[in-house]
Amino acid sequence: MSRFFLMGLLTLILGPTATGVAQAADGEKLFQFYCAQCHGTEGKGDGPNVTGDFPVDPRNFTETAEMNKLSDADIRNVIIDGGPIADKSPMMPPWGKTLNDDEVEALVRHLRQLCNCTGKAG
Amino acid sequence: MKTLASTFLGLMLVAMATVVAIARADAAAGKEVFQGSDCQSCHYTQGPATEKSIDDQLAKKGPELWYAGSKFQGPWLQAWLQDPQPIRPMKFNSVMEPNPGGHPALSADQVGPVTDYLMSLTSDAVKAGTVKVKKKNLKGRLIFIKKMPCSGCHQFPTKKKFSGGLSGPSLVGAGQRLNPDWVLAYLQQPKVFKPVKMMPVFVGLLSDKDMKNVAAHVATFK
Repeated sequence: MSRFFLMGLLTLILGPTATGVAQAADGEKLFQFYCAQCHGTEGKGDGPNVTGDFPVDPRNFTETAEMNKLSDADIRNVIIDGGPIADKSPMMPPWGKTLNDDEVEALVRHLRQLCNCTGKAG
Repeated sequence: MKTLASTFLGLMLVAMATVVAIARADAAAGKEVFQGSDCQSCHYTQGPATEKSIDDQLAKKGPELWYAGSKFQGPWLQAWLQDPQPIRPMKFNSVMEPNPGGHPALSADQVGPVTDYLMSLTSDAVKAGTVKVKKKNLKGRLIFIKKMPCSGCHQFPTKKKFSGGLSGPSLVGAGQRLNPDWVLAYLQQPKVFKPVKMMPVFVGLLSDKDMKNVAAHVATFK
């Protein structure tokens, strides 16, 4: 009984992640698994799918000026609904049925790290 | 006349039972070869899928085979096991490393039983005869090339040779390799087969009819 009480207390004090009850989504890991195939492992838009046949240039997330034009909501919407939601190519898939909200937010945060920018408000 | 008919029927039943018994025996022998040849160090054959995280998926060294009999076409599988050429342009689970090839080949006496064994591994999620394959499926083609990003990750045959991305398994020759009903089931129930995968989930984005068209289009790939 006292062991359960201590675990509950630890969870309250340290938060769920510290006690292993739940873990925050890992943006870097998600990016390497889902996004790097087109955007490249460093986010420069040069993944293995970008052959001579690829009809568009996947976004280079390290281009700070371009990424600053986008709000977090813009990025979130494209991740969830795919390129066409922003009048971009359907080669950017809609990931909304694959990723949960936490994972999408983790990816938005990771892209902000790659561009070293905060983007426009909104 | 009646006696002749019943004798013929009896012989037919005996013949059918013998064929089934031989197939079972071959599958059992194939299982022994499979397990004795270290195939299981890369391919698991016990379903259902248990992967729950990216780490679980990345821990796998090769594709799971617990539904191989639903996924593949037997004649293709038999030929491939004797002369295995890379299906994925990139190494399994790798984004940047090209597939080095070198999958072990089976000998002529091993390949029949192992094919029988793998073809005996099926999934109830795949319903036979659901996808109607014709020479062309223009609706499926439109989805594959333009509406959805399938071609961004999968190579496919074109008039010149082939086109498409490299991160997913190549679909060149998919008409001979894959069971169209499995392709449909994979699109409709991805979590049954690969709970965590690099390919997006299209459930809720494509209708059942769209998915059938895509599966029928993939079945035309030579």
